[in-house]
Amino acid sequence: MEVLPEVDCEEDVTITDDEEDDDEESSLSNIRITPTVTHIAKPRPQVALSKCPSSYKENSSQEKLMAAMAENFRQQYALLYPDRKALLLCPVNECSVQKFVSTTLRSTLLPYPELYDWEGCASFVADYLSLELLDPPFELPKQLSSPTWVLQTQRGTCFDFSIVLCSLLLGAGYNAYCVSGYATKEMCLLDQSRQECPLLQPQIQDKTEEPKKPMKKYSVKPPRDLHSNFERRQEEKQQAEAEAATLKKQLDAERLQKERERPPPDPLRGLRVHCWVLLLSGNREIPENFFIDPLTGKSYSTTDENFLGIESVWNHQNYWVNKQDCTFGCNEMTFDLGDLSKWEYVLCGQSLSIISDPKTLEEPEDEEEEEMDELKVFEMPPSWVTTIDISPADMEMRYPGGMKVIEYRKAKLEKFAPYLLKDGLVTKLTTYKDLDCTKASTIKEWFKHRSDHLDERELHTDSNVTTEHFRPGRSDALKYHRYVTLVPETERQMDFYSHIRTDGLARRIEKPFEMTETFENRTDFLFYRNAVYGKQIKVIRAGEALEQRPLQRVEERFHRDHSKPASKDVAERIFVVSDRRIQVTFHLEDDRIIPAWLNFIKPKEAADSQKAQAFTPQMVSGFQVDPSTKPYTNLQLYEMLVELMREEENVELHIRDSEKEVRSILSSREKEDSNTDLLISIYNPTRNEMARLHMEEKERMAKEKKQRQKEKELDLLAPSQVRLGLPEVLTSQDALQLKTDCLNEFKQQLFNKASLIQSRIEKETEELQKKQLWYQKNYLTMSNEDEDDYLAYCSDAMFRIHVLKMRLIRHKERAPQKYLALEEKLKRHPRLASHFL
Amino acid sequence: MNWQQDEPKVIDEEMLKQAIEEQGPQGQAGDISKKEGIQYEDVLQLRLDYRNILKIFHLWHFTSLTKLQLDNNVIERIEGLENLTNLVWLDLSFNNIQVIEGLEALVKLQDLSLFNNRISVIENLDTLQNLHILSFGNNAIAQLENVLYLRKFKHLRTLNLAGNPICEEESYKTFVTAYLPDLVYLDYRLLDEQTRETANTKYKYAVEAMQQNELQEQQAMEAQKISNEELQLHKDAFVEFLNGPQLFDSMFDEDPDGEKLALLPGMEALLESYPCKMEALCVQIFDAGLTQHAQRTAEVESFFTCSHEAVADNRQKAAQIAADFESSRRQKIVEMQQITDVELLEDNISSCQEQASQLSETLMSLELQLVDQLEDIFKDFERNISDMVGGFIEYVHTFAQCRDLENQHHEQQLEIALATLEKVVKNELEEEIPDDMAMVSGKHIDCYKDTVTNAVSASHDTHLLKIDNREDELLTRINSWMSGLLKSIHDEEVKRNRKRVSEIRNYVSYVKDELEDMRMSEHH
Repeated sequence: MEVLPEVDCEEDVTITDDEEDDDEESSLSNIRITPTVTHIAKPRPQVALSKCPSSYKENSSQEKLMAAMAENFRQQYALLYPDRKALLLCPVNECSVQKFVSTTLRSTLLPYPELYDWEGCASFVADYLSLELLDPPFELPKQLSSPTWVLQTQRGTCFDFSIVLCSLLLGAGYNAYCVSGYATKEMCLLDQSRQECPLLQPQIQDKTEEPKKPMKKYSVKPPRDLHSNFERRQEEKQQAEAEAATLKKQLDAERLQKERERPPPDPLRGLRVHCWVLLLSGNREIPENFFIDPLTGKSYSTTDENFLGIESVWNHQNYWVNKQDCTFGCNEMTFDLGDLSKWEYVLCGQSLSIISDPKTLEEPEDEEEEEMDELKVFEMPPSWVTTIDISPADMEMRYPGGMKVIEYRKAKLEKFAPYLLKDGLVTKLTTYKDLDCTKASTIKEWFKHRSDHLDERELHTDSNVTTEHFRPGRSDALKYHRYVTLVPETERQMDFYSHIRTDGLARRIEKPFEMTETFENRTDFLFYRNAVYGKQIKVIRAGEALEQRPLQRVEERFHRDHSKPASKDVAERIFVVSDRRIQVTFHLEDDRIIPAWLNFIKPKEAADSQKAQAFTPQMVSGFQVDPSTKPYTNLQLYEMLVELMREEENVELHIRDSEKEVRSILSSREKEDSNTDLLISIYNPTRNEMARLHMEEKERMAKEKKQRQKEKELDLLAPSQVRLGLPEVLTSQDALQLKTDCLNEFKQQLFNKASLIQSRIEKETEELQKKQLWYQKNYLTMSNEDEDDYLAYCSDAMFRIHVLKMRLIRHKERAPQKYLALEEKLKRHPRLASHFL
Repeated sequence: MNWQQDEPKVIDEEMLKQAIEEQGPQGQAGDISKKEGIQYEDVLQLRLDYRNILKIFHLWHFTSLTKLQLDNNVIERIEGLENLTNLVWLDLSFNNIQVIEGLEALVKLQDLSLFNNRISVIENLDTLQNLHILSFGNNAIAQLENVLYLRKFKHLRTLNLAGNPICEEESYKTFVTAYLPDLVYLDYRLLDEQTRETANTKYKYAVEAMQQNELQEQQAMEAQKISNEELQLHKDAFVEFLNGPQLFDSMFDEDPDGEKLALLPGMEALLESYPCKMEALCVQIFDAGLTQHAQRTAEVESFFTCSHEAVADNRQKAAQIAADFESSRRQKIVEMQQITDVELLEDNISSCQEQASQLSETLMSLELQLVDQLEDIFKDFERNISDMVGGFIEYVHTFAQCRDLENQHHEQQLEIALATLEKVVKNELEEEIPDDMAMVSGKHIDCYKDTVTNAVSASHDTHLLKIDNREDELLTRINSWMSGLLKSIHDEEVKRNRKRVSEIRNYVSYVKDELEDMRMSEHH
């Protein structure tokens, strides 16, 4: 009968669990709903230092040894190079404990595919953290926090940035180092306002020039050129001169412009401390050494002029001090860390030989010595930092507070986490006409997860033209839309995903009095239709007056239909509605240069007073390429004309349909823009409410089922039954006895529990009284410390007694209920139920 | 209509005219067509039902007819349909036809109805491979095997055999389903899966065996086709039957003396080595022939691509010029129609005429330029191809080596023959000797010697003749090929040029006529 309370306990536990879940989710949803507008990082709940693991708060023996060695190194270094600045060797961490910098690196590979290569890592670090400037800018930081701390607070100095990035890169298998040195002001202050925005740089197009066709053996010679060579050369010369002049002017103007934009010289140039990451070639198919600036996530060549000097580099295994001259920047630095004349190491050891010592391979005798050495070698202690972990939610939020603003030269880039903004905006790039960024010239926005599939929108403020790109998936198959206003019958261009549309429409260009449509892959080979309108007039149709523009001229063009002979295959037909004429041009026959055509004049329809005009051969004129072919008979011509007149009506219907479609697209676009939903993937459990509820429901069901199973297995009667020695099949006498026995036992247990609690209370009280007595006796001679102890004990004991009393009360309250519950349960027990019905 | 009382008729002009007028266009179109008269060649559909027709006649003019209905007549023989090669639909139901015939030329036929006739055998339809729908209902077909004949129609989807004696048979439906697996409708009904399954299980092995046979036949055909193609390639290279001992075999095939001489002792060794050498030489020529052929083909191809490119290029340019002119001309005409001032119009017309002449000049010079260019490359091509042919002909003189070989062989043969003769004379030869030699053994030695020498040289001459013939054949054929090719290229070019020139003239004269008309109308 011990099991019952256990069940109760578990129930309690599950309830609290659920509550916690709910809390978390509600906080998540809060984050989603309320986007922070300011750029200032949202103050994260400060992580209590006391929660840090012990390795953060104290040094192991190895680490102490390492610190001592570092101190030794520092002293020697200060002695040898009194002019040079102190090195960053053992700064304190967030718990104010000195740690060697190499042990602060914690190589980690996170389970996000985008962090598997250096570009992804660098841009992630640049996006995820916000910068705290060094103060003063020419001093090393006094504190170097652990990567976990930095990632939690999402803020740090350039050193913190580098440590995090280097940890990720090492985890991804790169040969990465942190570099402590000096850089330009722009670099240190993360000032990109003089750089072009990378999104604006023209994408380098793959120039896949068509391989020049090999000169074929029998290619015809071009006709002889009868122009004077001399004249041509003179002309060329003149042109070249003019070009050179304009080019020079342009260059001058550019130079002037640059001169004007140049920043004032930096008084601290060369003194500003910076920290960045060095990637050495070799691992992961890196062909050449290069730097990564962790603040921007961009890569630079090792000779870049932004980097002014290097003091030291380190990875998780060793620390090297630069002995090369950096007066003229890093231009001539070599990064062969094994070269003792250029780099001084702190720990001699295996890491050196790994990085570069080809000699060991060549001289086998040395190997033994090396091994001997290695035995003595002191290895870098393992990192004191716990594993770096980033939650998927944080990964998705990416920027501190979900957004980030970067200012470039004449441009401002704003980035947002997906789902942060209601309209699905993820990136917004504003370019300006002036350096002060006051007059916007274009605004380009990128969206994600929008239900209207809008992907990109660009607005040119000068011409007021908006262009929009859509991803596939819209019911109207719209792909691209360029417009000034969303009013119909104005200038616009719409492109469509033609393969989705039944009419194969690829593009529709509208001008105030013209509409041109192009088609692709139609079965009737139509590929072009152009309609010209006249002035708007009132049309009365179906009893209501409509404003409609009358058609004046419609032109249609067709591709060649090879199932028909060329001279019967229509290439172009023009309906001149205003003139009552129809022109048909046929395709060119093979080896012909002039197509056949026919011009029809439409006979007049029957009017009130007149009869319909009869068809006469004079209504048709045309040209036949081959005079020897049989001319059309009048019947054929008449049938053609009838067919064309019917087509004319169809074409008009098509055009009116197109107009209607344009209007419907425009109105739906307007609606969509004012009220956008975001699409949520069914694989996104945190956002998809339905999926989440469904999953929770499923989990709950599974849990309940499990519990029921457990209850089922639990036979309340078994112990009593065994004790009473009763058979499997019970008589009603036995059953009654069994029941009372069972109940009695439970009662006894409840009672026992109550008495147990009672006895504990008594015991506690007794002890407390004893202590009080003791205190009363000795309180005069007691030291302050003892007194404090005593007081602490007292309050503790009082608390314990209080808890026990509460428990007793609760137990007493619940005991009768529990008893009744058991009784009920026994009544319904399968083996007893039959006897108590 | 009381057609039953009418006399049986033959299709005649009057009947046709009436039918056409009845079935032709109505309303305004009908008036126009009546005025113009209808050409039999243009009629696409014709219905001649319920007219008591006995004999099909007078239909040979209707060459573009696609649909012909001759149902409900008393036709006894299918005839007179040979010219209607465009027919897609033919209805001969409710007639008195007994034998299927006279349909061989109607290869485009898709729908054929012979419903309610007296046909007992399905036959004579082999050429009608496009058949989709076939109706043989209410006939006298009694043998289930007739269905097997329909297996060759790969497009057949609908078949009607209802009302025939074979339908009485129990296995009729399953049999047809099994042997015509592509059929969709049988006797007005869709063939469902169940029927198919039962049919398949019932006739599985028979059908499989049949399929196997058909497959083998097909494979044999394909193999035959491939070998034919190969032979054609060899023929195109003018070296057919030179890749083996065929030439040698033919040398000895029609050579009675050689056969006898081969029986002489010692000849065996000689005859063993000779074909090998001969064959080696032949194969040499053969290989050279094939490679040279490939080279020639490549050359011809490159010439044609280049000349076609040049022509297409030129055509595009000319077409552009013409199109530009045409659009500007149309605009001009519209403008001129607005002009009322006679003199101004006159000016305009003459300027237009000038422009037309200018256009003609431009197009003509473009054409002339193309002709020059093509002539240049044609000359190059002619030179190259004749060089190639010359090279091959030179190589073909390897046949001289064959002749040498033959001469050698001849000498050795003669030697052996004479030696044998000596032995015979001395009676040293105990072995069996060829009959006729034994016969002559008693004759005078000189006479005998002559005979032997004659036989040997006769054989030699035959062999040499064969070789010479082969060589001559090769040379004549390659030369005629070359001259034919060059001539055809030249002719084509001339034809193209004529066509273009006449086209330009035609257009320009049309334009000028139009202008002239305008002027005339203005003057009146």
